[in-house]
Amino acid sequence: METLSHIGYGFGIAFSPESLLFVLIGVLAGTVIGILPGLGPMSAIALMIPIAFGMDPTTAIIMLAGVYYGAIFGGSTSSILLNAPGVAGTVATSFDGYPMARQGRAGKALAIAAIASFVGGTVGVALLMLIAPVLARFAVSFGPAEYFALMVLGLTAVVSLGGKNLVKGLIAAVVGVMISLIGIDSQTATPRFTFDLPELYEGVEFLIVALGVFALAEVLAMLARRGAGGADGTVSSLRLTRRDLARIAPATGRGSVLGFFTGVLPGAGATVASFLSYSAEKRIAKDGHTFGTGNPKGVAAPESANNAAAVGSFVPLLTLGVPGSGTTAILLGALLVLGVQPGPLMLTDRPDVFWGVVASMYVGNIVLLVLNLPLIPVFAKVLKTPKAVLLPLVVVFCVVGVYGLSFSVFDLWLLLGFGVVGYLMRQNGFPAAPLILGLILGGMMERSMRQALQISSGDWTVLVTSPVAAVLLALAALAVVGPLIARVRGGRGGAADGTEGKHDRDTDTADRR
Amino acid sequence: MGPFRFSDRTLAVAIGLFAAGYLVLAFDLPDFTAVQVPVQPATLPRWLGAVLLLLAVLLFFQRRDPEAGVGADSAPTATTASPGPDARLGRIGDTRLELALFAASIAVYIALLEPVGFLISTAVYLAGATAYLGYRRHWVTGLLSVGVAAGLYFLMSDFLNVALPPGPLPF
Repeated sequence: METLSHIGYGFGIAFSPESLLFVLIGVLAGTVIGILPGLGPMSAIALMIPIAFGMDPTTAIIMLAGVYYGAIFGGSTSSILLNAPGVAGTVATSFDGYPMARQGRAGKALAIAAIASFVGGTVGVALLMLIAPVLARFAVSFGPAEYFALMVLGLTAVVSLGGKNLVKGLIAAVVGVMISLIGIDSQTATPRFTFDLPELYEGVEFLIVALGVFALAEVLAMLARRGAGGADGTVSSLRLTRRDLARIAPATGRGSVLGFFTGVLPGAGATVASFLSYSAEKRIAKDGHTFGTGNPKGVAAPESANNAAAVGSFVPLLTLGVPGSGTTAILLGALLVLGVQPGPLMLTDRPDVFWGVVASMYVGNIVLLVLNLPLIPVFAKVLKTPKAVLLPLVVVFCVVGVYGLSFSVFDLWLLLGFGVVGYLMRQNGFPAAPLILGLILGGMMERSMRQALQISSGDWTVLVTSPVAAVLLALAALAVVGPLIARVRGGRGGAADGTEGKHDRDTDTADRR
Repeated sequence: MGPFRFSDRTLAVAIGLFAAGYLVLAFDLPDFTAVQVPVQPATLPRWLGAVLLLLAVLLFFQRRDPEAGVGADSAPTATTASPGPDARLGRIGDTRLELALFAASIAVYIALLEPVGFLISTAVYLAGATAYLGYRRHWVTGLLSVGVAAGLYFLMSDFLNVALPPGPLPF
C-alpha cells in the first residue's frame, strides 16, 4: 500500500510538464547518440551531463535516465540497418536484425526492436518497483565493511565479465582506482600524486575521464578506420501483423524477465543479458536452427532483455549506492555532483528523486515507443552523417562539456590525454568500463575501508568477520579466480556459450554495462 | 591490425615501469602523525602499486592472446556504410601520422580557446577539421561551423549560465 502511494507520488513528478519535456529531450538525444556506431550510453550520458548540471537533481537524473535507454534503443537501429552496433548491448540484435534488413524487412525488424524494448522496459520497471524497496530495507543494515565488500564485488564482477582478458581488465580497474586517489586526501589533508599542481588538489573529475576514454577515444578510432562515408539509412514499412506479434510475444516475455534479473547483478548488465536471452531463446524455440538468418524472435529476445537489464542495473545504483556497471557508474558520478547520495536511505531522504526516476522510466518507455516508432526513418538519416562532419562535432561537444564543468583549460589537456590513453587502451585490448568504475568506486572504497577500521580500532579482520561482507568478498574472489581456473582447465575464458564466444570480439568492453 | 597496437610483452614492460614509478611516489608520501589513523594516506596507493606490478608480471608471462586489441570500434564493419566517393577520412596515407595530426589539431584548439574565445576558435576548428577530413561542400561546412559555435555559445551562456570564453568579441 505504501509502495502504491509512493508510485503515485512518482508519477505525479513524472507527468509534470517539466519532467515530460526532459524525458523527451533525454530519449531523443540518447537515441540519436546511440545510433552512431561506437557512441554508446556511456558517451551519451557523459555528453549530456554538462547540460544536466544547470537543472534540479530530480529533473537532471530523469533526463539522464531517458538518455540511457534512448541510447540503448538507438544502438539497435544501427545494429539492424548497418550490422554495426552502436552499443555492445545490441550486438546480439544484429545477428537476426541485419539479415532481416538485407531481406528487405528492415522496417519490421526495427518495429520489433521498438516493441520488444518497450515490453522489456515496462516489465523491468514493474519489477524494480517491487524489488528496490525490499533491497533498500535490507541494505540499511550495511556497515562500512559490507559496503567495502560490495564495491570490491562490483569492481571484480565488471572486470570478470568485461572481456576476454581478465588481467587487462584488472589493470584497467587498478589504474581507475589510482586516478581516484589523486588529490588532497579528505581524511588527513595529505596531497597525493598532485605534483604540486593546484588544479589536481580536488582530484580528477570523472566526467573528464569518461568523455576522454569513451567519446574522444571513439573519435580517434573512427579516424583510424579511415572510412569516411555515411551509411544508407533507407527503411522499409514498419507494419507488424497480429501474427508477427503473437510470434514474438513469448520470446519478449522471457527476455524481459531474464534481462531484468541479469541487469540487477553487478557487472552483468545489458550486454550479457542480451546474449543470454538470445542463446536461451535459440535453444527453446522450435525454429532455433533459423536463428541467424533473420528470425524475428532473434531480434525480440535480446532487445527485450537489454532494456529490462538497463532498468535492472538501476536497482543496485538506487538502493545500495553502488553502480554495477560502467554506465550506472557515470550516472552515480552525475548524482553525486548534483548533491544526491544514492543508497538505502535515498528512499526516505529523497523519495522525489527515487520514485520520480522510477516513474519516469515508465514514461520514457512510452515516449520511446510513441515517438521513436514513427521517427525511425528520420533517425536512420543520422547514419548518413559524413564522418568528416561528425568527428569534429564530437570533439567540440567534449570540449564544451569539460570546460563548462570547471572553466579550466588544464582539464581540457587532461581530456585530450585521456582521449589518447583511451584510444591506446582499446587498440590494445584493455576494457574502459573497469577504469571508469575504479575511478568512481576508488574513493568510496577507501572511505569505507577507513571507517570500518576506525570502528574496529585497526583490526583488519573486520572486513571478513561480518557474514554479509565475507560472502560478498568470496563472490568477488570467485569472479576473479573462476575465469582463471576455467582458462587453466582448457576453457577459453569469458564466453558463457558458443554464441558469445564467437562474438566476443564485438562485445566490447567500452560499453560493458 | 590498427595503428599503435603493441605486443602484450611490450605493454607489460611499460605498465611495470609505470607501477614502479607509482610505487616510488607512494612510498614518498608522508605518514600522518597528528592523530592515530588506522589507514595512512599511503596505504592504499602502496597496495595498488604492488598489485599493478604483479599484474604487469602476469601480463608478461600470459599466453599470447590472438584477439588482443579489439575495442568498441570492432563491431562488425565488413558491411559498414556504403562509402561515398570521398571514402577516405583525412589526407595522409600513414594512419599514425594522421592520428597524431588530428590530436595536434585538438591541442591547438584547446590552446586557442581562451585567448581567441570560444566562438572564433570553435568555428575555425570545426571548419578546418571538417574540410581537412574530406567534406567537400564548403558552404555547408561554413554555415554548420558558425551555426554550431554560435548555437552552443548562446545555449550555454543564456540558458545554462555557463560562461564560455568570449575572447576579443564584445558579447
